[in-house]
Amino acid sequence: MITLLQLVINGLALGAAYALVALGFVFIVNATGAVNFAHGDLVMAGGYVAFGLGALAPIPAIYLLPLVAILMFVLGVALALLAYFPLINRPPSTVFISTLLCGIILQNAFVVLFGPQAHAAPPLLKSGITHIGEIEISIQAMGTMVVAAILIASQYLLFTRTQIGRRLRATAEDRQMAQAVGIPAFALIASTFGLGTALAGIAGALLANQFFVYPTGGIPLSVYAYIAVVIGGWGSIAGAVIGAMIISLFQVVVSAYVSYAAATGLLYMTLLLIFVVRPQGIFGERVQRRA
Amino acid sequence: MLSWLLSGIRLPLVLAAAALIAYALFFASPYDMRILTLCGIYALLVLGFQFVFGHAGAVSLAQATFFGIGGYITGIVATHFGAGFPVTFPLSIAGPVLLAVVVAVPVLKLEEHYFSLATLGIGLVVLLLAIQWSDITGGTNGLPGIPSIELAGFVLSDRRSVLYFVWGLVLVGCLISYQVTRGLYGRAFHLMREDRVAASALGVNIAHLRFAAFILSAAYGGAAGALMAHVIHVVSPENLDLALMVTCLTMTVIGGRTRIAGAILGSILIVFLREWFRVLENYYMIAYGVAALSVLILAPYGLVGALERLRVLLFGHSPRPNPPQVPEQAPQAAPAGEYDHILAARDVTLAFGGVRALDGVSFNLRDGEIVGLIGPNGSGKTTLLNVISGLYVCEQGQVTFRGQDITNSPAYLISRRGVARTFQHIHLVDELSALDNIALARAGIDGAGLLKSISTIGSDRRLERARRIALAAAERLGIADVVMEPCGGLPYGTRRRVEVARAIATGPALVLLDEPAAGLNEQEQLDLAERIKTFAADGITMVVVEHNLVFLAALAERLICLDRGKVIAAGLPDAVRRDPAVIEAYLGLGASEPLPIAAGVP
Repeated sequence: MITLLQLVINGLALGAAYALVALGFVFIVNATGAVNFAHGDLVMAGGYVAFGLGALAPIPAIYLLPLVAILMFVLGVALALLAYFPLINRPPSTVFISTLLCGIILQNAFVVLFGPQAHAAPPLLKSGITHIGEIEISIQAMGTMVVAAILIASQYLLFTRTQIGRRLRATAEDRQMAQAVGIPAFALIASTFGLGTALAGIAGALLANQFFVYPTGGIPLSVYAYIAVVIGGWGSIAGAVIGAMIISLFQVVVSAYVSYAAATGLLYMTLLLIFVVRPQGIFGERVQRRA
Repeated sequence: MLSWLLSGIRLPLVLAAAALIAYALFFASPYDMRILTLCGIYALLVLGFQFVFGHAGAVSLAQATFFGIGGYITGIVATHFGAGFPVTFPLSIAGPVLLAVVVAVPVLKLEEHYFSLATLGIGLVVLLLAIQWSDITGGTNGLPGIPSIELAGFVLSDRRSVLYFVWGLVLVGCLISYQVTRGLYGRAFHLMREDRVAASALGVNIAHLRFAAFILSAAYGGAAGALMAHVIHVVSPENLDLALMVTCLTMTVIGGRTRIAGAILGSILIVFLREWFRVLENYYMIAYGVAALSVLILAPYGLVGALERLRVLLFGHSPRPNPPQVPEQAPQAAPAGEYDHILAARDVTLAFGGVRALDGVSFNLRDGEIVGLIGPNGSGKTTLLNVISGLYVCEQGQVTFRGQDITNSPAYLISRRGVARTFQHIHLVDELSALDNIALARAGIDGAGLLKSISTIGSDRRLERARRIALAAAERLGIADVVMEPCGGLPYGTRRRVEVARAIATGPALVLLDEPAAGLNEQEQLDLAERIKTFAADGITMVVVEHNLVFLAALAERLICLDRGKVIAAGLPDAVRRDPAVIEAYLGLGASEPLPIAAGVP
């Protein structure tokens, strides 16, 4: 019983980081309707930035996070300028391909800049483990959960309670109509890519301590974010967080009892089963396509 | 012959092909031959991917999976059982096809992003299997020692014969691809890719086309994978992974996603680029990504599309083909039996979220009558047309057409039974000529099947007939003189008429026109009304959704008025426009004037 509880705690800690990854992904989906397949590679980029900054200044990562976020924001805007705006009037699948290509460029840039080996970023506060009863939990994992909770709550409030959030949703729904009522759609889309990438970067900085960064590490993260959003219902923030939690719990528990490969295989099989039973996702509502 | 060669970009393509053949025959070193063989294998892979990605317009991420499975089947059957090429090659095609058939049912139903993710998921499961099931697959190291191709006693051991054999199969692949896409069947793909709504409303069975494309892509992928296994004598998980998928996608995007020449150009270019960029070491994948991204942004139709555009810039358009000589009337779909009303709607109800768009709508239509469907904005007129034509699924109620229940039948079946429609917003393919746009009306009905298309010899009779029918429909709408122009350049009023002509060319018994007079001037409106009357005189029932009561007054024998999803009045135009409920719906409570139908007439 204790081991299962321990596994659940570990799963939640990993899930907090996955939730941040999925959050940045769904942020861009919500504002543009586009799937950013470079998202996992952007997470890795955040990890590399944290690693690089940590090598320059050996201080806890919590002080580096704002700088990571700012640099990643700039990278996100650059991604929008390169891979989204030139293709804005093309079918959505084109953006999917362009971001996929950007991901390939990023992955190989990592190899050139940092080599093929794995690196670890500095811990958020300090390394170490605390005990709650018989459950052990690392300080990094607790920090990750706190940071994730704060960012998830602020994104939720941003989208539902603020004028900017309403404008973003309007832009995603119908860009031309949003522009017609005076919403600066292009600036909003660019900053959405920036914010989504900043979230990815923070997730990367948090993950890169326990789980390391390496050039191809982003690919599964893109897929997990994608799956989380599918499970949670396309575009739903709460759904994406729940989806990410489900994925991480599934991975941690199945890996512990069977194997990591079995966990991954079963995850994809489950995804396919979900598609058979509910093509609209677990929490998604079936909406008729407007003709 | 000369005019064939000079049209489009055929001349440079023929010259380039000749140069390539000369190079392969006389100048290539054994190393070059190996590279050219790889080009051929990738060309096959890309030709297959073009079906699903280019023609069906679905971003499948399973193409590398089909390739890898083909390779593994060849490897396993050849090394474990010692079977020869005549056994392993068909099995390597059948395996991926079988997988495609099994997963097609759930996966092909999925919308865009979900489809990509599901195909990616399948690929990752297969990759994991290949790594984990190491007794059979050799795990991460793969299976070495796959023999060379052996056919009827000949072992293709030298690089020259392998090169010829592979490119021979590429030619077969090109031929099949050409056969599938050149006729009316290929036009159905074009329409589906450009406009799924219009395609299903014109009787195109989208599920069938997507299925055919997916199966073809699997077959080509499997064949390419098998060849690769023989050529490099080993299969490993690399044959299945995402990097290969990205390579395939890149080749397709760079070459051109629907052109055979694009598949060959893309694969040759990328394979050679990779060789040339090898000196850049780790930078070469970056250069590769940047090159692909640039083409994606700058040349939407790939390099072949860019060449075509260049030709138009330098030498102008190729001369337009002549329209068909003899028009042919569209045959009408025969009714299945006796019926009272051509269309009967009973209690049709549909809600979007909390809004009742249709709330118990019932009415009947008679053969050959012209009925106006009116109502304020948001009253449910277009929604009603969408339910009748099968684009929306209604929650309650029943629609019968010529005595048969068509409630919630798929749109393409309803269309094939004889219900045609136009759209409030024009749904035409801009780059096709008006004639070909109208001819698309036959793509669903006469488009034949995959095998029939592949085995057609000579010109496609069905396409020629579709064009004759299109010409007849165009003549009846008075647009025969502009039919060879691309639709994108035609004036708005003409495009509206192209859409009506397309509906007529399906050979319908019932035509639903959604605001056909919108944006037409008075002269054009009168002309259109006269033409609609001639169709009704032929026995075709016409339903006209309109706000323009002046237009309807001259045309409709009956009016049905909707308000907030309910029929509030139905009957003779004069009675309906004096109906208090109708006046209230249009003009507000307390108004007592009848709706004006013409200037100055109360």
